[in-house]
Amino acid sequence: MNKFTKIYFDPYLFFSILILSTFGLFFLYSASNGETSIVFKQSIYLGLGFAIMLLTSQADPDLFRRTSLLFIILSVLLLGVTFLFGPEINGAQRWVRIGPFSFQSSELLKLALPIFLANFLFNKKLPIQSKEIFISLVIIFAAFLLVARQPDLGTGLIVALSGIFVLFLSGLSWSFIGGAVAILIISSPFVWNTLLQPFQQQRIATLFNPGADPFGAGWNITQSKIAIGSGGIFGKGFGEGSQTQLNFLPETKTDFIFSVIGEEFGFLGVLLLLSIYFFILMRCLYLALSARDRFCRLVIGGISLTFAANLIINLCMVVGLLPVVGMPLPFISKGGSSLISLFFAFGIIISMGTHKKLLPQ
Amino acid sequence: MIFEERQLEKKNFSSRAVFLFVLVGVSFLAVLLQVFALQVSSYTSYELAALNNKNYSVPIQPLRGEILDRNGDVIVRNQPTFDLITQPDLIDNPERFIKLIKPVIYLSAKEEAQYLKKFKEKAFVNKELVLKKNLTSEEIARFNVRSFGFKNAFIDKRYRRLSDYPKIFSHVMGYTSRSDNQYDLSMDIPRSHWVDAELIYANGLIQGKTGIEETYNQHLSGQHGKRIYEINSRGRLVQPLEYRPATKGLDLYTNLDIQAQISAARSLGNRKGAVVAIDLRSGGINVLYSAPSYSINKLSNGMSVEEFESLISDPKKPFFNRASQGRYPPASTIKPAIGMFGLTNKLVNWIDEVDDPGYFTLPENGRIYRGWKEGGHRNVNLKKAILVSSNTYFFKLAYRSDMIDLSQYLSSFGFGDRVCGDCYDEDGAFLPTPDWKYSNLNVPWFTGDTVNIGVGQGYLVATPLQLANYISIIANRGKVLIPLIVKEDQAIFKIEAPKDIALSSQNWSKMHDALTGVIESDYGTARSIRDLKNFQVAGKSGTAELVSLDSKEAYLEIRDTELLRDHSIIVAFGPMPNPQYAVSVVIENGESGGAVAGPVAIEVLKSLLNNE
Repeated sequence: MNKFTKIYFDPYLFFSILILSTFGLFFLYSASNGETSIVFKQSIYLGLGFAIMLLTSQADPDLFRRTSLLFIILSVLLLGVTFLFGPEINGAQRWVRIGPFSFQSSELLKLALPIFLANFLFNKKLPIQSKEIFISLVIIFAAFLLVARQPDLGTGLIVALSGIFVLFLSGLSWSFIGGAVAILIISSPFVWNTLLQPFQQQRIATLFNPGADPFGAGWNITQSKIAIGSGGIFGKGFGEGSQTQLNFLPETKTDFIFSVIGEEFGFLGVLLLLSIYFFILMRCLYLALSARDRFCRLVIGGISLTFAANLIINLCMVVGLLPVVGMPLPFISKGGSSLISLFFAFGIIISMGTHKKLLPQ
Repeated sequence: MIFEERQLEKKNFSSRAVFLFVLVGVSFLAVLLQVFALQVSSYTSYELAALNNKNYSVPIQPLRGEILDRNGDVIVRNQPTFDLITQPDLIDNPERFIKLIKPVIYLSAKEEAQYLKKFKEKAFVNKELVLKKNLTSEEIARFNVRSFGFKNAFIDKRYRRLSDYPKIFSHVMGYTSRSDNQYDLSMDIPRSHWVDAELIYANGLIQGKTGIEETYNQHLSGQHGKRIYEINSRGRLVQPLEYRPATKGLDLYTNLDIQAQISAARSLGNRKGAVVAIDLRSGGINVLYSAPSYSINKLSNGMSVEEFESLISDPKKPFFNRASQGRYPPASTIKPAIGMFGLTNKLVNWIDEVDDPGYFTLPENGRIYRGWKEGGHRNVNLKKAILVSSNTYFFKLAYRSDMIDLSQYLSSFGFGDRVCGDCYDEDGAFLPTPDWKYSNLNVPWFTGDTVNIGVGQGYLVATPLQLANYISIIANRGKVLIPLIVKEDQAIFKIEAPKDIALSSQNWSKMHDALTGVIESDYGTARSIRDLKNFQVAGKSGTAELVSLDSKEAYLEIRDTELLRDHSIIVAFGPMPNPQYAVSVVIENGESGGAVAGPVAIEVLKSLLNNE
């Protein structure tokens, strides 16, 4: 097969993402009280996203490997630009403007970090040595700090997770993991008291007792649970959710769009949605297992697990299993930069999963 | 890397990746379980919570029932007035709106300020706001001509609670006023929504505060209606969803008689006192009047602070309901009961005579108890003793009576306890017993105390209502009916039915005969009212002493102070020999019972008989 005539394309991922994001447009239409301009804008981003995904997947994995240092430097620079010039919104600097586009600068780091670490670790002997673990952890921690101080604790944790996944997949010893978990548990009171802001403490406290202050801190989670719960098995119907349409539910277009789906399409709708997500993740696992080399395996594993973590945190938050953190529902929530970076991420996954070596090394 | 190493690495990666993806699967399952718990297991409670979020229910005020007299004439009604109501969400600039509407309706500075103060909040939530209450007919006409220019305002009917006899029925009807906690919680409307109630009364959510309005508030108030709106999260009304009209309260049919009540008020004039009349056939209260009085209309619909203060501080105590709360010594009006006690216990009969020298000496200590007539009535039997109101006869009888038995006997006539079935805040007044005196005053009961009871003085006090109840039991030959303001089929009974009083029918006839003689015979103490009517009346007058004095001269001295003058009392029933009505009259500081209170009683009886 000629290298230049082959199109690198994964129909499973492509069509499931297409279905997901098309559904997403309908959900968004309902969540925005029928405002078509938002849906129109989102569909343009989707079109752009698919183009980026297709384009990205044509690149050879080696390209990403060779440019991984450049990529991470670029990401960090972008964070620096955000810190220096980014507008302050709700007390946080997370956005950077490039011409007419606004971009959430931490999105890139979510991809750059796992690729960089995969590149760093893919040719190391098993089991990986303490020195390599140490260097990896320092890089992960630095990336975490860069994002967390915006402040954006949620995305910071996701960035850290993306690195930790790669480190774990590359063969981090179990005893080390056990020790780390122990230290984490022991230090949690310290983290709670000194590192967390009062509003973050409140969000966690609210999780365990949302009824304590239903109109204050517990409002979002209470209304979200009411929206989902009142959807029942079959839902209230498209555009018929009173919680959504009468604005009792907060942030319907972004973080809480899952509650809109739950309210208007019920348990069956939720089941269908989760099935599509689960299918995408299973396909990613398959691609990771059958990828051509260790670097590709690590990148696919790292990026798809980061995607999963992102998704699960959003789901757990809106159903009341985790504290409220700003985290969109992938492919469905409104937002250009998160969509673009998602498509970019899946472009990388498809690239890594579909490029095969013609000859064994 | 060599091949084996690569195989090892691949295996290592696979197991770890599968491990992590299993964790992902477990998380998915956890989310799914939680969603299941919310949407399937707890569906009903969340469905309800969502409904409570979006549905804003407001109560609709019902119209209160009217209150009618025994002939079906209206005593208290609902008077429609017209208010100018605005829709603030349709008004962009309230100041300009007021400027526009000022030539049409008169607005005081206070009304204007009130309106502007409430405007913003009401506009935000899309609710109505009253600009001006009680429009005059010119204002209504002017507005109607220009109403096309005011799409954001309209005139609506609002009621006021009104009586056409505001001062005549004040105490018995009572007044209504804005309620403090008039929530009907059975309505399934949250407490906080009641401020948005759709009103039918200009005074808002009202409830009876005193009198019939209070006692029968449940009957009168009716059932609230309900309107459910859909609201959004900011509390703005989006659209109406459901409407259930209010049900008007029950009209209340009373035993009161407007004409008789008016005649009682007219004959009392500006004197302090009370009149109570009872229908002997039903126990229905036809008249319950206390003077001086006040206007319930003003009290229900707004009275100036100055006027209220002056009523409160008036030494004549107009708010005090003398008819059911005033405590007066029954004086000589108690004598028939004492006589009947003597007959029942075989202490006296109608024949045996007693010498009345004008006073009674208590054997124990020689203390002298005087009659009202110097020199006494000489030989008196029971009938004569009642006719001429001989104190000595009843001193002697009481002296021979056991106070515990006597107290029990008097209580069967309703003394010392509430007698009315549905009166508001009735006072039971006081009937003494030896036990009471010993435990409260730390002194034993003396026979002298019983002697005083014999002529209705001393510790015994009764309300005009109790006196009317007492005389109607006598008029009905011992049959006890519970006095009721409201006709029996609607009535509330706050007390239990007491036992009838047993006495031979011969004795009852003789007692009626004696009491008729008090007014109709040449010797009767109340014969001065004999010619005021063309039917026969039985009764007993009394003069309640406020100060215990030994001689007439001493009384003439204190008489200068009006408030120390004797109270004038009469209890009467008629027409004889088949009485239909009983009446009691007390006139404070009116002195001689028969001559002062008597004519009032006759006027009321005449009015009741004319109005059947």
